[in-house]
Amino acid sequence: MASNILNIGKSALAAAQVGISTTGHNIANASTPGYSRQVVVQAAAQSQNFGYGYVGQGTEVASVTRIFNDILAAQAVRSQANSSSVDTYRAQMTTIDDMLSNATAGLNPAMSEFFGAIQDLSANPSDLATRQSMLSYAQSLASRFQTTNNRLNEVRESVNSQITSSVSLVNTYAKQIAGLNDVIEKAVSANGNIPNDLMDQRDQLVLELSKQIKTTVVSQGQGGYNVYVGNGLPVVVGKETFNLLTTPSPTDPSRLEVAYQSNDKVTVLGVNSLPGGVVGGLLQFRSESLDSIQNQIGQIAAVLGETFNSQHAQGFDLDGNLGTALFSVPDPLVNANAFNSGPSTTPANANPAEVAAKIVNAKALTTSDYKLQYDGTNYNITRLSDNTTQSFSSLPASVDGLTISQTSGTMLAGDNFLIKPTQNAATKFQVAITDARKLAVGGSVLTGSANVANTGAARISSPIASSTYSSSPIAAPFNITYNAGAPNTLTGFIATEPVTVTSTNGTTTTYAAGAPVTFVNGATISTAGISFVISGAPNNGDQFTIAPGSVTGPSDNTNGLLLGGLQNADTITGNKSYSDAFGQMVNGVGNKTRELNILSISEAQVLEQITAAVQAESGVNLDEEATNLIRYQQAYQAAGKMMQIASQLFDVLLQLGT
Amino acid sequence: MRISTNTIYQSGISKISNLQSEQFKLMQQISTGQRIASPSDDPVASARALEVSHAKSINSKFADTRQTAQLKLNTLESNLTSVTNMMISVKSAMVSAGNPTYSDLERGFIASELKTTLDGLIGLANTRDAAGNYLYAGFETDTAPFVANASGASYVGDSNKQMLQVDSQRQMAVNATGDEVFQAGGNDIFATLQNLVTLLNTPLTPANQAAFTAGVATGLTSIQQGLDNVLTVRASIGSRLNEIDQLDVSGDDLELQYSKSLSEIQDLDYAAALSDLSKNQTIMEAAQKSFVATTSLSLFNFI
Repeated sequence: MASNILNIGKSALAAAQVGISTTGHNIANASTPGYSRQVVVQAAAQSQNFGYGYVGQGTEVASVTRIFNDILAAQAVRSQANSSSVDTYRAQMTTIDDMLSNATAGLNPAMSEFFGAIQDLSANPSDLATRQSMLSYAQSLASRFQTTNNRLNEVRESVNSQITSSVSLVNTYAKQIAGLNDVIEKAVSANGNIPNDLMDQRDQLVLELSKQIKTTVVSQGQGGYNVYVGNGLPVVVGKETFNLLTTPSPTDPSRLEVAYQSNDKVTVLGVNSLPGGVVGGLLQFRSESLDSIQNQIGQIAAVLGETFNSQHAQGFDLDGNLGTALFSVPDPLVNANAFNSGPSTTPANANPAEVAAKIVNAKALTTSDYKLQYDGTNYNITRLSDNTTQSFSSLPASVDGLTISQTSGTMLAGDNFLIKPTQNAATKFQVAITDARKLAVGGSVLTGSANVANTGAARISSPIASSTYSSSPIAAPFNITYNAGAPNTLTGFIATEPVTVTSTNGTTTTYAAGAPVTFVNGATISTAGISFVISGAPNNGDQFTIAPGSVTGPSDNTNGLLLGGLQNADTITGNKSYSDAFGQMVNGVGNKTRELNILSISEAQVLEQITAAVQAESGVNLDEEATNLIRYQQAYQAAGKMMQIASQLFDVLLQLGT
Repeated sequence: MRISTNTIYQSGISKISNLQSEQFKLMQQISTGQRIASPSDDPVASARALEVSHAKSINSKFADTRQTAQLKLNTLESNLTSVTNMMISVKSAMVSAGNPTYSDLERGFIASELKTTLDGLIGLANTRDAAGNYLYAGFETDTAPFVANASGASYVGDSNKQMLQVDSQRQMAVNATGDEVFQAGGNDIFATLQNLVTLLNTPLTPANQAAFTAGVATGLTSIQQGLDNVLTVRASIGSRLNEIDQLDVSGDDLELQYSKSLSEIQDLDYAAALSDLSKNQTIMEAAQKSFVATTSLSLFNFI
């Protein structure tokens, strides 16, 4: 009986020891990230029936368990992914927001100074110093465009490198989780006990993983975790891992995309299949904001360059020559998809198609990118900003102020091309004139007039010289006569030049040189590099004269005033002036950053609340541990005392014998 | 609710760091005097500030252009004053030339005086401005617009008006062309003067007495017409200068308004900012004290 008492005391002593060491473990790990407090689960030992009843046999430690809530942990993982996605997006936007914060270094002052210089030049068109200064301001405007866009390109580069490092972190975590899966499964199957600290480590890794990308965990039977990232891509299945990797976009080699590798097959993932975490935030920032901001700046540069060049071509320079392009605006960027048919594909295409695009009407230019896809019959051009597609049976095709044409090769069904009209426009925006005498502020190259004897009410617009007009200007005026009939026609064009008529709805008709041209009210008539509009109701025999302008003196500032007028003209799609468009962009960036600031605070609060909830359940409270310490200490002392009493009982028995 | 020790520290840190970032923001605003540090602080106001400063810079550019216009018109005006004086002297000379008691010799004196005046007028008509451009040449300001010849002077400039954008909706001509000033309506002052010189140099005989009288009368009429024309041009210049003054006044008003709106959009309300700062400091002190007080409580102190 006494030995039984000793045994009971021993079991109590042992249980108290386990209690003290577990408490000690809790205290030691109070600030270990991801640590869940552990508790000793004690149970009464199997009691023994002595006939008169069951006598207790002491205590035993059933298990040491961690306090862990699966549901809260899953919430924390989800919230962590959201919060770090928004936070990453916000951090990137803030860079751009800060970049636009300097009012004196922005694009707007450079534009104001440039147009100010044009005003000065209009006041002193013959003064070489004023001309030179206008050229310098043009130069500084161009370099401001370049710097702005270069900084955005740096942001783009940094997005690429952040994606790379984030994806490699994802892969590292996946490997570590798979390793822990293995160890935990072995431990569980060996003795059925759960290795608490390894479980904590793995859960912490899952939480770290969710900082990089949206993560979902599905527990398997033997303690293993299957981990899915993004929208359900498995990266850990038991002991196996599948890699994410980065690869240049097939349509844009400068853009790193995230891809998924399984069974030697690499699939490029779009922004929609990779939400959450740093990766999701970066991809979203790039596709939603960076692309659009860069395109907006490019649009301002391209439209400013093109409209300025077009007006500049309407005047004469100081030496009486026709104005040439003042700015050089790069052609739209066209990238053939890397998977387009080529010699190594089936069907083989020894001569893959190449496509080029040109800006023909800057005023219709949008900030969108475009995709050209050939389906075997039609060429489908999709505006990516709103996914509207137009189909054409042949190239060249015109969309939103662009002309897209095939320059060489053979196109096969499925070939596609990405067209970016504006992304690089600002980087490559340059001043094309170095000689200040070539600034064409004088005169107007062409004049158009209705014959005073006309009886009808039709008017002719000021004829506009195209960029190619200066290479073969007309030598003498020509008279266009309106002939009533069926159809009504215009005759009297230059005998050797074909005539193209573009009606207001975009329909284009070309007439052979010398052929009568059907009159369309309000249509743009182009011939010999000249375009004009005759609108209203002419009567039979009414005449319109197009005459070449003449070189006037050095103080002629007619075209200079028109150039200056561009500053506030609605030249950009949506009836915006250059500075309106810039203001709109700044406003857009400000709004988005502000929205993200608010969102990031609220996501952080949600995360904080969930973390607090997790901590409330699993975290270590030192006061509580201190209590436990005292409790187990006293239990230990009590057990010791009991053993002492058992020993004294034994002594009583021994003394009986003496 | 059970609170873990981690949470106590974590929430203490995050509250204090929030307060610190608010404090930083306030200090930044106070040191720059600007309410908006980057567009996200107030997207609408940032865009508005861009608009207003753009409009302001355009407005001040127009003010510059008006100064140029004013300079050009003033130069023209002072030159035309000399022209007017010369023509008045011609008139008085002509009145005395008609005096029948004058001898051929005396008329010869007047003729040579008129000849000098003619040369002077041609000189005035070929005046250049400070930049070396001929005032009355239209666009062809690199060539002297009047070339003296046997019948007076011929005009080789053009009739173009140099326009300047003096306000958003106003282009103003800042030159007067030679044909407009000296040859208006076919009344060529230089030809008239040359004719008068020839007439006065011709000895007076009873046979040409009538022609002489008629010639002097025609001359006088022509000079008077020319003078009227110059005065008309001067009046038009005067009214343009007057308009510039008015545009300046409204431009200055606009400038003031723009500056005021900019200041309303961007400038910091110091009183509010400073009071926010001191409120923030109070809360910060309280937060720090309570953090220290809470964390110093531990059961371990008593074991």
